[in-house]
Amino acid sequence: MNLFKTSLLAVSLLTLGVSCNDKGFLDVNPTGALSDSQLNTPENIDKQVIAAYSQLGNDIYYVPYTSMWPYGNVRGGDAYKGGGGTADVDAFHFYETFSFNRVDISNTDEFWYRMYLSISRCNDALRRLNAVDATTMPTKAIRQGEVRFLRGHFYFLLKEMFKYVPYIDESLATEDYPNVSNRALSNDALWSKIADDFRAAVASLPADQSEIGRANKSAAQAYLAKTLLYQAYTQSDANAVTGIDASKLTEVNTLCDAVIASGKYQLHSDFATNFLTTGDNGVESVFAIQFSRNDGTPKGRTDRGNELNYPMNPDYGCCSFHQPSQNLINAFKTDATTGLPRFTDFNTSGDLVTASDFLATTVDPRVDHTVAVVGHPFKYSPTFVFDNSWVRVPGVYGYNLSMKESVLPTDPSFQKTPPFMSSSKNWAIIRYADVLLWKAEALIELNRSADALPLINQIRTRAQNSTGRLKQANGSAISNYKIGQYPTAGFTQAYAREALRFERRMEFAMEGCRFFDLVRWGIAGPYLNAYFAKEKNLRQYLSTANFTVGRDEYMPIPLNQINFSKGLYKQNNGW
Amino acid sequence: MRKSVLFARQLGLPALLAAAPLALVALPNVALAAGPKNTTRAYADITVTGQVNDEKGEGLPGVTVIVKGTTNGASTDATGKFTLTVSSTATLVLSSVGYVSQEVAVAGHSTLTVQLKPTTQDLNEVVVTGYQTQKRADLTGAVSVVKTDEVKGMTSNNVVNNLQGRVPGVQITTDGSPSGNNTAVRIRGFGTLGNNDPLYVIDGIPTKTGINQINQNDIESIQVLKDASAASIYGSRAGNGVIIITTRKAKKGVTRVDFSTFLSAQTPGPHIKMLNTQDYGRIYWQAATNDGVTPNIPFYSYQSHQGPAGQPVLDAVVVPEFLDAAKTQRTADTDWFKETQQTAFTQQYNVNVSNGGEHGGVLFSLNYYKNTGTLKYTGAERWTGRLNSDYSLLGDHLKIGQNLTVSKLQEAQFDLNLIRDRSSQLLNIVPVHTVDGIGWGGPVNGIGDRDNPVRLLTDNQQNRSDLYRLFGNAFADAEIIKGLHLRTSFGVDYSLYKYNELYKTFTAGYLSNANNRVTNNESTFGNWVWQNTLNYDLTLGGGNHTLSVLLGNERISYNQEAFYASRTNFASQDPNYIVLDAGSANKDNGGSATSYRLASYFAKVNYAFKDRYLLSGTIRRDGSSRFGSDNQFGIFPAVSGGWRISEENFLKNNATFVSDLKLRAGWGQTGNQDIANYASRAVYQSSLGTLDPNFAYDIGTAYDIYGNDTNLPAGYRRVQQANPNLKWETTTQTNVGADFGFLGNKLTGSVDYFVKNSTDILVNLPYLGVVGEGGDKFVNGASIQNKGWEFLLGYQNTLANGLSFNITGNLATFRNKLTYLPAEVINAYGGNGQDVTRLGHSINATYGYVADGLYQTAAEVAGGPTQVGAAPGRIRYKDLNGDGKIDNFDQTWITEGIPNFNYGLNLGASWKGFDVQVFFQGVQGIYAYNNSKFRTDFSSLASGENWGARLLDAWSPTNTGSGIPAPTLVNSNNEGRASTYFVENASYLKLRNVQLGYNLPTSLVSKIRLQNVRIYVQGQNFLIAKSKQFTGPDPEVTNYQYPVPHVFTTGLNVSF
Repeated sequence: MNLFKTSLLAVSLLTLGVSCNDKGFLDVNPTGALSDSQLNTPENIDKQVIAAYSQLGNDIYYVPYTSMWPYGNVRGGDAYKGGGGTADVDAFHFYETFSFNRVDISNTDEFWYRMYLSISRCNDALRRLNAVDATTMPTKAIRQGEVRFLRGHFYFLLKEMFKYVPYIDESLATEDYPNVSNRALSNDALWSKIADDFRAAVASLPADQSEIGRANKSAAQAYLAKTLLYQAYTQSDANAVTGIDASKLTEVNTLCDAVIASGKYQLHSDFATNFLTTGDNGVESVFAIQFSRNDGTPKGRTDRGNELNYPMNPDYGCCSFHQPSQNLINAFKTDATTGLPRFTDFNTSGDLVTASDFLATTVDPRVDHTVAVVGHPFKYSPTFVFDNSWVRVPGVYGYNLSMKESVLPTDPSFQKTPPFMSSSKNWAIIRYADVLLWKAEALIELNRSADALPLINQIRTRAQNSTGRLKQANGSAISNYKIGQYPTAGFTQAYAREALRFERRMEFAMEGCRFFDLVRWGIAGPYLNAYFAKEKNLRQYLSTANFTVGRDEYMPIPLNQINFSKGLYKQNNGW
Repeated sequence: MRKSVLFARQLGLPALLAAAPLALVALPNVALAAGPKNTTRAYADITVTGQVNDEKGEGLPGVTVIVKGTTNGASTDATGKFTLTVSSTATLVLSSVGYVSQEVAVAGHSTLTVQLKPTTQDLNEVVVTGYQTQKRADLTGAVSVVKTDEVKGMTSNNVVNNLQGRVPGVQITTDGSPSGNNTAVRIRGFGTLGNNDPLYVIDGIPTKTGINQINQNDIESIQVLKDASAASIYGSRAGNGVIIITTRKAKKGVTRVDFSTFLSAQTPGPHIKMLNTQDYGRIYWQAATNDGVTPNIPFYSYQSHQGPAGQPVLDAVVVPEFLDAAKTQRTADTDWFKETQQTAFTQQYNVNVSNGGEHGGVLFSLNYYKNTGTLKYTGAERWTGRLNSDYSLLGDHLKIGQNLTVSKLQEAQFDLNLIRDRSSQLLNIVPVHTVDGIGWGGPVNGIGDRDNPVRLLTDNQQNRSDLYRLFGNAFADAEIIKGLHLRTSFGVDYSLYKYNELYKTFTAGYLSNANNRVTNNESTFGNWVWQNTLNYDLTLGGGNHTLSVLLGNERISYNQEAFYASRTNFASQDPNYIVLDAGSANKDNGGSATSYRLASYFAKVNYAFKDRYLLSGTIRRDGSSRFGSDNQFGIFPAVSGGWRISEENFLKNNATFVSDLKLRAGWGQTGNQDIANYASRAVYQSSLGTLDPNFAYDIGTAYDIYGNDTNLPAGYRRVQQANPNLKWETTTQTNVGADFGFLGNKLTGSVDYFVKNSTDILVNLPYLGVVGEGGDKFVNGASIQNKGWEFLLGYQNTLANGLSFNITGNLATFRNKLTYLPAEVINAYGGNGQDVTRLGHSINATYGYVADGLYQTAAEVAGGPTQVGAAPGRIRYKDLNGDGKIDNFDQTWITEGIPNFNYGLNLGASWKGFDVQVFFQGVQGIYAYNNSKFRTDFSSLASGENWGARLLDAWSPTNTGSGIPAPTLVNSNNEGRASTYFVENASYLKLRNVQLGYNLPTSLVSKIRLQNVRIYVQGQNFLIAKSKQFTGPDPEVTNYQYPVPHVFTTGLNVSF
């Protein structure tokens, strides 16, 4: 072997031997990503709070947890599912009719998961906030309050849907999550946990926030009031209301008073303002989801939970979901002389269907803010008249559509994302009217009906004054409006209760809370079965509908979650 | 100048592309080829001119002709001719790879014609086994060699498609995609829960993708390394098996130009049958009537009367003249499948020029392929060029060379699922166009928001992507001392992807879009590979011991970068106008990057004693950037042995019918690292919003906290959890097998049995909801076992009359089961959440209910177990646990989803220039989940969409014999649930390929100075036999695939 060959061999062996720093070669860092610890700077912690906020509106039409329309309105007898027929998003059909609702409907499981996803963003932000030094992050306490407010909100939604849920907070290590049962806390203790978050928020939030989207002290007080109001109605395991906790009601009253006393809020002079883009962050908005478009994000941060709820005309295109029930529309009838609701006979005869029906009968003006009627201007535009071709399958779901969530195609907030539509109009989580009526409800249940009366009348007065936009092209009123105030006389607790409940229905119709009100009051079963008995004569598909008392007040714990928990989670009563 | 003249004549063919570089390469060929011929004009007895032909009578180039007992010899030229000056009594030995060596006595003749017979399994055939080559006789692992001859002329754009059914243990599923990119290859079952694709090694360069960008005509050989003892030299990426592709090189002393072309017509294969306009109206009426509601659909009216029993009877379905009030859409009966499909044409032109000299050779090829696609406007075009060259220097002690291919694939970018879905969804009553013949028909009230598929295809026709790829390597191989080779190779595999998309404005029924949008996408991706190996071959002990040793290392670095930019509101949709600058609104852009690296060391020893006892061992150590820092490296060993019994005297002397018999056994481990690049890390990312949030959750982290639609701050979302312990998935495989040849290798074959255990399988599992966002985590989870048999048997013979024929059959089985699941994820794979899990079942198994026919009467319903939604005409589910109610606990494993066996049968014959080939392929005993029943059998699972024609025979009180549930509009009985209703016998046998070829007689073609002319006709997918139980059109086709076409081809091959 000559020298040349030997040296070649040596070089070759050397080449093979180069383990020249494999570790260094293999150390490839992720691109466009940060590690957990990189997020612990005050700037990034602040952004994690934003990430938690953004989850408020990150929903989609088949699990619309912002507006809650299928859960609160369709299940509450105020709305039909709508859309292309009973099989179009059939999960909502089963929610609506209850009879065939199941433990393995994926939309229900998805709702559960999306809530915990939102909660995990809150817990992530809180974990970092708790650890940061207040001197390096002066906003620490405020941000903690905001995140606890947000977490309270998501747990509230979970609680009103599923009743018994596992409670996970930022102090728990991820590996311990699988050990937390949905029955670790009682019904009452779970409400208290949610209330604790809002109490903490009340304690640390300032009265005013310079950034309009952030929760402030009043918002936290209002949400705490709402939580305590729900908690006040104690419930058995079989979902029957067993009593009412006066001390909680007293606190509700106090909290509402604090919000009122802040002087920051009032009712918009026109009810319509609440449902127009121009009313975003107006005086009635206590806390709202901030949607946006043309905002530098790819498709805008718009309201996707409502994206099916538009008419079928060429300016929109799709999909005619969320149609008001005839029962709801009839409920807007008022007494021709007093202008008061017709508690007992609104639905016994004379359905409000055609435009002329609305002129022949006196109605609450809020009907034309809430319900699209053939021949009535859509969304306050006299030249944009709702036509019977704008509804998808009227033979199944009738000719009406919901209007509060939608915007005109010419509105600057309108966003078409074919085949659907959405908008950047804000969605109110709490508006001031809610605070007034929670206070009224607490007072009535505390047997202080007289104190509740002016609050209810305040709401009705505003409704009465809200006809300015309700005009046909020729300037005439769309409907025959007549709305009056409750007189002091005869405003007994029982009557006041009925008045309050009716007022909530009119004021918040199609805003996602009706079913939860019914369950809170403990009347969902009888109320809905009575509704089905009458409504099925108009809507044949309701003939199979039936509410099972003790079961249907809550969704079943999703089968998937029970399986994944290896049976740790216990199913709700009746399921 | 003979060849150049001819070449110029060939240029006249319209098919030839890019003639100039071809001519350049062709010219020096003449000089090189002429050289050796003139050198043997020395003193000798006689000059023999010979012609060597193959079994088809075609001139065989590159045959070594040696005077027996001397070193005097020559090679045949491109036409199979040789000239040699020898003693008149000499004997010539003719040998060539792939052919039986033959001795011919000169016996004073000055001209000789010899025909060589091919060997089906030439034991001296050189097989590429990973960083080295071995003789087939010395192989100890399970290696299948595919004969490219059998698949040449097949029209697919993806060479892998043509292997379907030809290699036992290799399962290939494909569709009719024009670019050939929808092919799945599974070697020996399903070994992992993620990516089951094998590793491809092309001329030594590993890749996982893009085999459809390789020109099939460039391929010399394909080898499949199935077992671990063969594949473990590729360690970390060999868990799913390895397919080695070697491209053609110029053969020494051969100058040859091959031209081939084919043209085929493809007609779309079968699809599911939907209801026509009248029948949809009828079924809708029936469904509503069954539900007890008044049929109410805006565009149908009904005439009916009460029957004798009070039941409604339909007299007529009345279809209006127009669908819409504006009278723009005239009602129609549109067959959307027919409207979206067409007869496709495929054409290919290939020129291959090779020039092999004494000290090197060059091969150059150009290929053009075009397939217009059986779906309108979905065609693909591909250009490939290849240059393979090598040069020997320093007295042949140093060889340098390169293999390089460049390709451009242009294909339509369209959403296949969407097109096929819409074709089955949009009602036939919708016209293709509005009455003006220009506007688009589309859904109206009562019809779901399903777009017109013809519009989708037509408006998308300008949206074509270009994928450019540079793939190849440069290498140097030095022989340091005899038998010791040092080789270094630097390979590249880089692609550039460009795609400009125009999303047009449109109106189709109530669907419309007023703002057009242009999005430009660009990405570059690929890797370099640097390999260094030392190979040492030596023979000791007087030839009794042969030893080869391989040492090597390899580094791979992969990078990918992508970005897009888009704008909306373009004043014109003219292709020349739609540059981004012309858009006036919504400027948007985005981008991403990712990378991974691999560092590996490997060694292999092959030892043979007296060519009888064979032993082989490999070990490989791999490091991957994808794993946790503590577990980046994995070690993959393998050993195997072989015993060539046929070399033993006791067999040689006593059983002469045995030509070859070898027993093999091997054990080894391979790895899998096919997971996300940063799988071991906790990753947080910012996301302004979701690109298409219509059908997916918005995962955005930005929020308009200022309430003014500007300057949205954005946080970070957790994408996945960290797992610093993440390590390789390991597959341990044991293989025993035998190769045999009987009766002078007329009957040959092999048998293999394998057991393959995959452990620490990398999975990203679904998790408990409370874990929340980014709960995803890659873990080393399950274990899977595959085991099975593989058989290959071939017979070939040539009769005295010159008829030669061959029959090759193969059959393979595998069984698959999950053998281990970590406790925390055991319920993530199905089961009832308690005692029933997937353990012991196949990963293809389906868990579900047992459909037990239909309820016939209300009394039956009342007497049956509690089943939410039960009613006459509805599916009855079995109460498996007998607790009186149908729930989660009444499910079981309803099919394993694994066939009893897969098989293929190839018949070939040739006689006097004619050759014929017939190929069958089949799958037997598979019970598949037929998802298309979802569309064809139910009117309740999709509303506002078309339903299957099978519903015309659905159950009714007067048609109680039907197994199809009664039409209903509401799915109260949850009949879409996983159940045996959807499980069907999907066995099939297909006539994949029939080919008839004719080689023009040499006497004729030589007059026009050509070497060989072959013409052929071919048919693909002409016949299918399927189980009667299968209700779909073709078990191989789902509604979402590109239609598998029937293909008729004519082709021409010319060599000169």
